[in-house]
Amino acid sequence: MADPAASGSVDKSVQVKLVLLGEAAVGKSSVVLRFVSNEFQANKEPTIGAAFLTQKCRLEDRVLRYEIWDTAGQERFHSLAPMYYRNAQAAVVVYDVTKATSLEKAKSWVKELQRQANPNIVIALAGNKVDLVQASASSPGAPSSSESEDEADDATATPGETPGSSEPESLRQVPREEAQAYATEAGLLFFETSAKTGEGIVDIFTEIAKKIPIEHILAATRGAGGRPGAAGGRAGSQQEGAVNLDATAKPKDACNC
Amino acid sequence: MSTISTALRNFKEPTKEQQTQIFFSLPAVGSLDGTEKTPAMEVEKMDINAVLSLGVQGEEDAYAGKLYIMAPYLAFASLDRKSVRFTIPLSTIRRVERLNARAGIYALSLSTWHGAKIIVQLTSLRPTADLFCSLLRDALKIELQRGQMRAVKGFVKTCYSEALVSTTSHVADNEREDGSLISEEQADPTPRESTYHGGLGLKFKFPGDPKKLREASKIKLWTQYLRAHGRNLTLLRYPQCTRLVQVGLPNRLRGEMWETLSGSVYLRFSNPGFYQELLDKNTGRTTTSTEDIEKDLHRSLPEYAGYQSEEGISALRRVLQAYSFKNPELGYCQAMNILAAAILIYMSEEQAFWLLEVLCDRLLPGYYAPSMHGTLLDQRVFEALVQRCLPIIHDHFQNVDVQLSVASLPWFLSLYINSMPMIFAFRIVDCFFCMGPKVLFQVGPAILKINGEKLLQIQDDGGFLNLMRDYFASLGESAHPHSPDPRARAITRFQELLLVSFREFSVITDDLIHSERRRFRSEIIHSIESFAKRGAVRNLRTLGRFSKEQAGLVYDALYKAMCLVPPPPDQPPPPSLVPTGDKTGEAEEKPETRIELRTFQFFLSEIATWARDERIVSNGFQRRVDREIAEHEFIDRLFFFWDTSCRGALSFQDLISGLDGVMFNDLMENIEWFFNLHDKNKDGFLTKDEVLTLSETFLFIFRYEVGDAYLGAVSRFMTNAFEYGDALLPPPDEKPELNEQGGETPPSIPTNQPYLNLATFRMVVLADEVLESFFETDLSASFRLEPLPEMELPVSSSGLLGDIWSTIATDTNKKMFNMFTDEIGKTIGKHQVVHRPSIGRYTKLEEPKARESLLTPSMRHSASKSSLSAESTKTAATSTSSTLSVDVNVSGKNSLPSSGSGFSPLPMLHAANIALMERTPFAIDDAKDDEDESDEDLDGEENDDQVMDEVDAFLEAHDSGLTDADKEVAKDLINAEPVK
Repeated sequence: MADPAASGSVDKSVQVKLVLLGEAAVGKSSVVLRFVSNEFQANKEPTIGAAFLTQKCRLEDRVLRYEIWDTAGQERFHSLAPMYYRNAQAAVVVYDVTKATSLEKAKSWVKELQRQANPNIVIALAGNKVDLVQASASSPGAPSSSESEDEADDATATPGETPGSSEPESLRQVPREEAQAYATEAGLLFFETSAKTGEGIVDIFTEIAKKIPIEHILAATRGAGGRPGAAGGRAGSQQEGAVNLDATAKPKDACNC
Repeated sequence: MSTISTALRNFKEPTKEQQTQIFFSLPAVGSLDGTEKTPAMEVEKMDINAVLSLGVQGEEDAYAGKLYIMAPYLAFASLDRKSVRFTIPLSTIRRVERLNARAGIYALSLSTWHGAKIIVQLTSLRPTADLFCSLLRDALKIELQRGQMRAVKGFVKTCYSEALVSTTSHVADNEREDGSLISEEQADPTPRESTYHGGLGLKFKFPGDPKKLREASKIKLWTQYLRAHGRNLTLLRYPQCTRLVQVGLPNRLRGEMWETLSGSVYLRFSNPGFYQELLDKNTGRTTTSTEDIEKDLHRSLPEYAGYQSEEGISALRRVLQAYSFKNPELGYCQAMNILAAAILIYMSEEQAFWLLEVLCDRLLPGYYAPSMHGTLLDQRVFEALVQRCLPIIHDHFQNVDVQLSVASLPWFLSLYINSMPMIFAFRIVDCFFCMGPKVLFQVGPAILKINGEKLLQIQDDGGFLNLMRDYFASLGESAHPHSPDPRARAITRFQELLLVSFREFSVITDDLIHSERRRFRSEIIHSIESFAKRGAVRNLRTLGRFSKEQAGLVYDALYKAMCLVPPPPDQPPPPSLVPTGDKTGEAEEKPETRIELRTFQFFLSEIATWARDERIVSNGFQRRVDREIAEHEFIDRLFFFWDTSCRGALSFQDLISGLDGVMFNDLMENIEWFFNLHDKNKDGFLTKDEVLTLSETFLFIFRYEVGDAYLGAVSRFMTNAFEYGDALLPPPDEKPELNEQGGETPPSIPTNQPYLNLATFRMVVLADEVLESFFETDLSASFRLEPLPEMELPVSSSGLLGDIWSTIATDTNKKMFNMFTDEIGKTIGKHQVVHRPSIGRYTKLEEPKARESLLTPSMRHSASKSSLSAESTKTAATSTSSTLSVDVNVSGKNSLPSSGSGFSPLPMLHAANIALMERTPFAIDDAKDDEDESDEDLDGEENDDQVMDEVDAFLEAHDSGLTDADKEVAKDLINAEPVK
């Protein structure tokens, strides 16, 4: 089934299933898009149920292959979520720093994951849209206009939340300290991120990679008889950085044998 | 924090009549605001065997089938239910003639608005045919009176097909001239806009290359077909129609055909102006649905030019918003944006609105509901069908732990529109509207089968998804690229897919899907409910001292109560109260399920022993427990006591906190709790009135206790309370200081003045051994979370646990048996009814063992309205008033209450109790008797259904159902002259 090259890379490339959860419009899809293709642009793909993307992440001599499930945020899709976080080794729970209720929702996701999901799941909490609350605007006019353009394209953006005349800091509804304290208490990784600027995005995934019990997964995978093929063909083209940014989902190299 | 829905429990299998209506795509009666038509205008429904032929020689074969009159529609289906069918509004029938033909043949000629002549030969017995005709006549008259006949002309102008066949438009005019049976038809109300409805595609182009899609030849074929077989409202669906749909509808006609084939055209026809009114009525209103819609507008088929313009976006916004206003319970679900965006390319907003209604309501039932139960159910059904049809693939998926739903969920939720390239998805949608939801279940397995070999290689969900993505991207390619035969090479993968779907998976029928849905419904509901329960418990702000399991039991009791007495639906706040504009400061409050007093009474009766009346009935044959909900002011008081946010309704959290406040208390805490409960104004004092109310509460809780211990205790309590209270009463001049609310009231009327404080109350209580033990343990212990074993959900009425038949039967039998044995018991003098005490500490008059053995799980209980509870309130009320009157007299004299007056309520209550014990126990049983009868009626209906099924099956064996002689007759009729 698997060619020699592929089987050679099997022990190096570890498959990690990661799920993104969070309230609607907090920017889950944007976070994934930034991580997977280093872009922030119009999100053209509507998320029904969940979108599936893959990205490789190099950690020392290991290559992690993230299988990312980007779930729909609308409340009524909640009952479908277990289908996606089932067997997940990692989860990124996203909230919006400009919306206090989104942290509440994030907390309830964390609770649910801790109770219902894989017991060893690594959970990261990400406060997204931090660019909206950073006072470092170059000029008063420019950021807001570019913001509204980008945000309008980003379909999950909350309308009416683009900073107009109001002061950036006043938009913040979730103090960093509060979220940090919660994350520490609940044993989560914590980041404030901006899918728009890219801040903090890669860090989430590298920190998760460090925390994932890789040996454990490898053992489990081998125990299950290994997995030929799927991850094999793509392991070749690695880059220097922590994250491999090659466009992943050209799946013609999926197992055809 | 959490919403609890019992909606799933209320699912009812559609009746035979509803199934017929669904089959013919008829709008549900009374679906809009319940103001459909007055019952006086109803015409009985009827069906009759008939042979259908067209009034044009050689155009189509004759087909045997069934003709239905379901006013205001006339419908026909051939015996195989698929070859030929039509649904025609009666208002489009312009002429009905009885044909003069061979002896013994009863035939009608119907002329429709479009000039098509339909000949139906009624093959039933003469009286039946006569009856059918008279019904038809009555129904036509009503339509005439309603003015629907006149509406037709204006309406059909909105249909593109009219423009398409306009060369023959004179047909309609001729039609009117030849003096029809219905000769109203005067000058039409001002001709409305002569333009037909159309979608964004007219302006922004339709997806796909018109040449490649062979639009021109498709249009030509359709024009021919529509000319001969009627169109829009009067379309007759012959096999050719289905074939034409299967090769893909032409873009310009697509929207109209969707609405005609799905039946949404009837909704648009019968509700003119509704869409616009709905929008006008709700202008500027924002709801959570409209906010959700806003987020998705730009991500709905964004690659289509129409949705890069404000015109397309705002049309999409209006349609989705209008639907969410029409059906606030469903509101808006992601994926609806994709459907709406797709259909808006081909149809006008109004058309799209009604099609969306049909989609969400009938074609994809429950898919977009808040629980998405329809989606989950159909995914389960789909998986079962794959298991049945493609066992090897199914087993492989099981082995590598791949879930089918990760790929198939969007297939169903968005009708393949965001899975496949649009031009292909729309062809599946064509078939879907023409042949019904089963198409989704046929295409799905076909996809898997075609990719079978590769699917057996995949190892995980990701691989599965990638494979599917590749396959869908390649649908336009040749299915047999290496075939030497150029014709085989020309077959695209998509064509192959449709072929496999309809050839190899035609075994997947509507009936099969229905029966699979029935099979899995309870499983799905159970999993949704337990998921909701876990969520609700997890989302509690505080569990108090409860464990998770205990909170779960409270949830169960709440859920049960909600099934029995559903809380009223959430009333959306009037538009004026909804803040518009900025929502940054506005913490969007999530809707939370709250129960009202009536539901609370049921809830409490599940938990607290004294909140239910349990009668142990023994009649010499059996002993059983009948259970009723108790009603008493105390329960109402508790309700408002727990309603800390003063909303007049309790949430799950309120119940948990409330129960937490009493179930874990020790003696002193309980006394304080009880005191606070009766201290209405929370000033730390009970008034005399409140002391009396409190005593009433005691008597209520102790109402079924055996022996006199509790009665004595309560009477001692009252004596002492008044004695100490009066002794501690401050001198009259100090009173205004203590008194917060009634300074101006004269001190001589102390019944509503602060009277007894907690310390005194405690002292009085502790003076009595019985009351002490009550507060020490019995009060807390009277709340029991363990589910009551013998009381079950009213399965018979919800009918969701599958085997309805047997459930009804056993339930009915049990009740009948109970009644029967009671009667016999009474005649032989062994009938006996004993109330089970709530506390049960003193059981002198009864053996404890016997009492326990009564809890046999087989006993059932029906929550019927009891005359008992009404009676008990009545007696309680009487006793209250009498107590008060006595007391006012006493206090008016401003002297120590005599022991006599302290006792005074007791004889009354005694009497009340006795009355309760002695009431005739058969009022309830009689009520049950009525229920039994209705149940039996249902059974009968089902028997009929089974018979009908058999008949249907028998008939189907005969295929076209016509002998050559019959066909001859049918042909003859074409030339037959009307009866003079």
